[in-house]
Amino acid sequence: MADSGAMSGAALPDAPRRAVNGRVLKDSVVRMSPGRLVSNPVMFIVELCFFLVAAMAVYPRGFVPVATPSETPFYVEVAVTLLVTVWFSTLADALAEQQAESTARSLRRLETSVLSKKVVTKEWSRETVPTPSKDLRKGDLVLLENGDVVPLDAEVLEGIAMVDESLMTGESTPVRKAPGDALIGGARVVSDTLTARVTANPGETYIDQMIRMVESSKRPKTPNEQAVTIVLIGLTAIFTIIILSLLGLSITLGLGGDLSVLIALYVCLLPTTIGALLPAIGLSGVSRLYGRRIVAKSGRAIETAGDTDVILLDKTGTITVGNRQAVEFIPFEGHTESEVGEAAFLSSWYDDTPEGRSVIRLAHEKGFLPRELNSLAPSEVYEFSASTRTSGIKLGRGFGFILPKGDKSGKDRGRLRRKAAMSSEEEEAASEYEILKGAPDSIRKLSGNVPPGFDKTVESISAAGETPMAIAKNGEPIGIIRLKDVLKPGIEEKVQAVKMMGIRPVMITGDQPLTAKSIASEVGISEYVPMAKPEDKFRIVQAEQAQTHVAAMIGDGTNDAPALALADVGLAMNSGTEAAKEAANMVDLESNPAKIIEVVLLGKQLLMTRGAVTAFSIANDVAKYFAIMPVIFAAAYPQLSAFNILGLGLHSAVLSALIFNAVIIPLLIPLSMRGVKFRPASTMSLFLRNTMIYGVGGVVVPFVGIKAIDVLISVI
Amino acid sequence: MDKDNKAGSKGRGWVRPVVGVALLSMLVCGLAFPLLVTGVAQALFPYQANGEVATLNGQAVGSYLIDNSFTLPYFFHARPANESASGVDPDITLQEAYSQIPGIANATGIPSSQLTGLVQKNEEGVFWIFGTPYVDVLKLNLALIAMDPAYYQSRVPALSGS
Amino acid sequence: MITLLQFISVAAILGVTIVIAWLLAPYVTGVFTGKSSPLDRLFGPLERAVYRILGVDPQRGMGWKEYFFAGLFVNVAQMALAAVILTFQGSLPLNPMGFKGLSWDLTFNTVISFATNTNLQHYAGEATLSYLSQMTAIQFLQFTSAATGICMGVAFVRGFVAGSKDLGNFYVDFTRSITRILIPFCLVAAVILVFLGVPQTISGYRAVTTVEGAAQSILVGPVASLVAIMQLGTNGGGYYGANSAYPFMNPNPQSNILEIALMLLLPTVLVFVFGQMLGKKKETIPILVGAYALFGIDLAIAFIPAAPQGAGIETRIGGFYSVFWTVVTTAVTTGSVNTTLSAMHPLVILSAFMGMLIQSTPGGKGVGLMYMVMYVVITLFVVGLMSGRTPEYLGMKITGRDVKLVMIAFLVHPLIILIPTVVAYAGGFAQAVGVGTNSVGFTQVLYEFTSAAANNGSDFLGTAANTPFFNVATAVVIFLGRYVPIGVLLALSGSMLGRKRNPEAGLKTDGLLFSAVLVGSILILVVLTFLPFLAIGPILAYLQGHVNFFG
Repeated sequence: MADSGAMSGAALPDAPRRAVNGRVLKDSVVRMSPGRLVSNPVMFIVELCFFLVAAMAVYPRGFVPVATPSETPFYVEVAVTLLVTVWFSTLADALAEQQAESTARSLRRLETSVLSKKVVTKEWSRETVPTPSKDLRKGDLVLLENGDVVPLDAEVLEGIAMVDESLMTGESTPVRKAPGDALIGGARVVSDTLTARVTANPGETYIDQMIRMVESSKRPKTPNEQAVTIVLIGLTAIFTIIILSLLGLSITLGLGGDLSVLIALYVCLLPTTIGALLPAIGLSGVSRLYGRRIVAKSGRAIETAGDTDVILLDKTGTITVGNRQAVEFIPFEGHTESEVGEAAFLSSWYDDTPEGRSVIRLAHEKGFLPRELNSLAPSEVYEFSASTRTSGIKLGRGFGFILPKGDKSGKDRGRLRRKAAMSSEEEEAASEYEILKGAPDSIRKLSGNVPPGFDKTVESISAAGETPMAIAKNGEPIGIIRLKDVLKPGIEEKVQAVKMMGIRPVMITGDQPLTAKSIASEVGISEYVPMAKPEDKFRIVQAEQAQTHVAAMIGDGTNDAPALALADVGLAMNSGTEAAKEAANMVDLESNPAKIIEVVLLGKQLLMTRGAVTAFSIANDVAKYFAIMPVIFAAAYPQLSAFNILGLGLHSAVLSALIFNAVIIPLLIPLSMRGVKFRPASTMSLFLRNTMIYGVGGVVVPFVGIKAIDVLISVI
Repeated sequence: MDKDNKAGSKGRGWVRPVVGVALLSMLVCGLAFPLLVTGVAQALFPYQANGEVATLNGQAVGSYLIDNSFTLPYFFHARPANESASGVDPDITLQEAYSQIPGIANATGIPSSQLTGLVQKNEEGVFWIFGTPYVDVLKLNLALIAMDPAYYQSRVPALSGS
Repeated sequence: MITLLQFISVAAILGVTIVIAWLLAPYVTGVFTGKSSPLDRLFGPLERAVYRILGVDPQRGMGWKEYFFAGLFVNVAQMALAAVILTFQGSLPLNPMGFKGLSWDLTFNTVISFATNTNLQHYAGEATLSYLSQMTAIQFLQFTSAATGICMGVAFVRGFVAGSKDLGNFYVDFTRSITRILIPFCLVAAVILVFLGVPQTISGYRAVTTVEGAAQSILVGPVASLVAIMQLGTNGGGYYGANSAYPFMNPNPQSNILEIALMLLLPTVLVFVFGQMLGKKKETIPILVGAYALFGIDLAIAFIPAAPQGAGIETRIGGFYSVFWTVVTTAVTTGSVNTTLSAMHPLVILSAFMGMLIQSTPGGKGVGLMYMVMYVVITLFVVGLMSGRTPEYLGMKITGRDVKLVMIAFLVHPLIILIPTVVAYAGGFAQAVGVGTNSVGFTQVLYEFTSAAANNGSDFLGTAANTPFFNVATAVVIFLGRYVPIGVLLALSGSMLGRKRNPEAGLKTDGLLFSAVLVGSILILVVLTFLPFLAIGPILAYLQGHVNFFG
């Protein structure tokens, strides 16, 4: 399961690794040019301050009475620190961009360049022309035979086949594809033959879209980023008024304040930390999402995900694995349970799907080990075919069963075969026969007539929301395997986490109410919509939004498209139809519906990180005031040294505060790019925790940090 | 909403309510209300409403709430005008009053013990857990005059003039 | 430091005031939600007559722009009327003392000051204003500015009420706040004040011969009606130059305590009205707790030094109640004083600054509430993100535009306090009125503009600041300090109308946790903005060992 473990422990795994390399360093320096920096008003002002202090260092006489020529070395120190502050911020940008690009590069590897069989109609016949995928266009038809790679996103037109999408989705079991189903570029056909129509031009696939968004340097600011920027501009305006007033007072009252000290105070007060890291935080949030192979069509969608109050969860695929598990063998009249169990066992020997494995496990648990395993050999194996919806085996005399090729559970089967040893007399008695297992209606069709209990048993199992599978021996139905839904591993914890964060999970299923209820209550969901058709999702989203809820949902079918478009957060499965992907604001390349929960967590993490750094940045100002204030008018008002609670030296106080202000930026780069760590918890406890760490911590940390830097400076 | 605003701010309907409400409020709040309170006050509490005027021998000699500017040695004195916030503080603390007793006793011949008793009798300012004690200088001096009318007969115009 | 008894008396006064405010709040809420009341029989016909005269449809709601500009224009018209009275008082009746008309700049300052609930006074009323001026200029504007503040506060709240379609009708709110709140409340207060010794007459100053035979003028007038509205309406402008230190405005400890309670009453009532109008009474918690916690911090700072004695203190009031009053009058931006501010310890003045800079502890009636909600919004925005959701208030998402409006409202204060302060020194205007360039002088100038910006009105300079520069500069500061934040915050409220709200999720604001965070964030925001100036003002004065501001 691709998402397993995502929610355990500290919730979210790390983003791709990053490191400072030459390219990043060069990029960070290029970004320091005023023309490029102007888009970040806070850092631009810091740079202007650098030029001013640099001018003071070069020609202090021009700045009297707010400068003293003998202080030139100090001006140089301040100027250098200011320049380093600017550089740290551009370094953060460069690193975030690099992280995003490396994500994009890893995604680009998914893009395939293959020679595919373009179908061309010539007069009376169709021909295939070998064509590189880059020359294919939307609307072209391609023939995909066993072993072929799907060149671009496409849609099945003819044929039914099994397709391996493990490269994209991490799910090893091949998926059945029928006309109308979507194919992901890069997937591989592993059975049968398909004709498909290309749905995206080269460079327009979802992977391409994602890469472009990551690489684009002109990402529009999200609404929340804009709002934070407004706060930063507001604070900058306030501090500008403060510093200009202090400068005016210093001159008119003859307080002898030094311009460089005022500038140092100004820069320290400016929200440089969040100003420097804001772009990186946003970009990293997007990268983290991409790192999980989810394409968001806008940064806004990620933030909205954090605001979700209600998640519509499709039962199948989200709460339960698509496969079901055998729980009972039900014999028809005249047959025994062990007979059914052994037949089921034999029919599943070569069936390596989770369902097949579950049949073998159940038979083994119940002790139904067929002796034929060593005396008879399969003369023919009927693999599951999408058109007959049955699979089976024909047994004949031979030297016992061989282990299936590429079998995941080969070891187990070898052990089982040794267990099922047979006496020689029994071997004599054994005769040839054929076992088929499959959907009840398929078996009915094959057998022609069915025993009296057949319909009743099938119906009662279906009515409970479970799946019946019929077993026929030599064409005669002998019993039913009852298969039950299996919960996804860890789904209970995920649902619990969702609820803890104040989000209501609502389960949507086509099942009967009783079944729906039993599954819902098993995972702790109290709201469920049974017997829902895909179209109903639209109505549900509408109803939730009418009550002003922010709704997140997943979908894959064309029927889901209207609801996906309506939902605040619509996550489409890449395996879904084109219409669904167009309508949604996010697409999961791995087509794992359970990831909707992860999307919500990532949205929260992004907002939290931005809030934490903002609060930390503002809270830091308190300590900086205490450091620099005694120095500003130290000559005129030595009494103000009462504010010097840290016991700093005159010059080193200013430098310590400035250096702290600068180094906190690179120190917070990892936090900004990784995101704030959090465990799912209620809104209030997340708030309390983060307020204590980043708000209260933001007040305390700089006191410690500035003092430590002061001690270091005095040692040097 | 915007449409309404435009209609409201540009239409002719603006002047009337604005000027009307300004004039009406002036008449009601600036004239009717103070006059109403004056009427009620004069009817219910005429003494307070007219400034708690103190009389001596039938003549108005000042207000108990306003410093009466005593300067002569045989009276208790308030603080100099510029030492209080109002400049007309009519009250002094008990300590200040006690500190003036020897001088007054010396000038008038009234025994200190009687003067101390007089100050204590005129103490005010504390109720429940609130306030600090003080004495009203005019009240105290009028009581002082009443204590020895013969002595003050010739020294106080209101008494001698009648 | 204060004694246990003093602590208990402060707690008792505050506690009783809050309880009375709580009891009165449902009535006030009813006035603005149109709840039918037995008083309709009395006021209903009167109000309907007013609407007919004005030609307004009382049912028609207004958007924020119309509401705000209606209020602004009405205020300007009232300023004009009052200006006419003040300028021509010499030729108008009810002037038994024969005072002349005021200069243009003093008139300009005075009408703006009073029409905005500021009541900064660069004159001494007893030596400047006729009875007519005291009533039809001063008391008139004290009523209308209080009513305007209440209206703006109530309209502001309406924007946040679920289901509101508009902010209400200014003329209706204005009329009802005068007829149903201010006049009845003030009548009761005025009569009690008269009973306690505050004069109320229009028969002229009384000439008497003192016991020692000197001539004395007893400066009586229609004082009680003015004191009632000046305290209840958090106006603060005094009948006399000495304000509430003058015995006729505040004759004894009883009147002193009553007036403290009157100042706190309406701002506190409106805090309760907020929750009641919202239909979420618990939303009053952060506003009330935040306001009174900050007020408590102010008090704690002010009570650190020993209470002043002697010079500048009225004997009947005493140092302790002078300090208490000073904190209250700045916390609710009333600005009345019962002492000489110069007699106050620098830490008391620091505390007064905090009240005026925060403006919502609980602040002026109506406006203090608006400021507190402004702080709630900015706090929610900055810290609320840390809960992992787009910050919401009352279920409504805080947008970039909201933040922009709040930042503008927040930016006004430093702009109009700091720049004029610098100009006052740079232009030599402060030095010209005898203010020093040391910590004491700087405190006084900074206080002048802080008080003007906060629409407080208390000041050190008083009549000394009756110069064209200070009259015009403070008038401009007062005007901007009043109308820009109100306009901007009404725009914020107007944008909340009909906004999608999600009542269940998000950060809960109706508890003590958020209240605590709110208090911390307000302190940090205000400290960050003004600390350097407080540091070279009252704090430096304290560090230099000053115990008051004389000299």
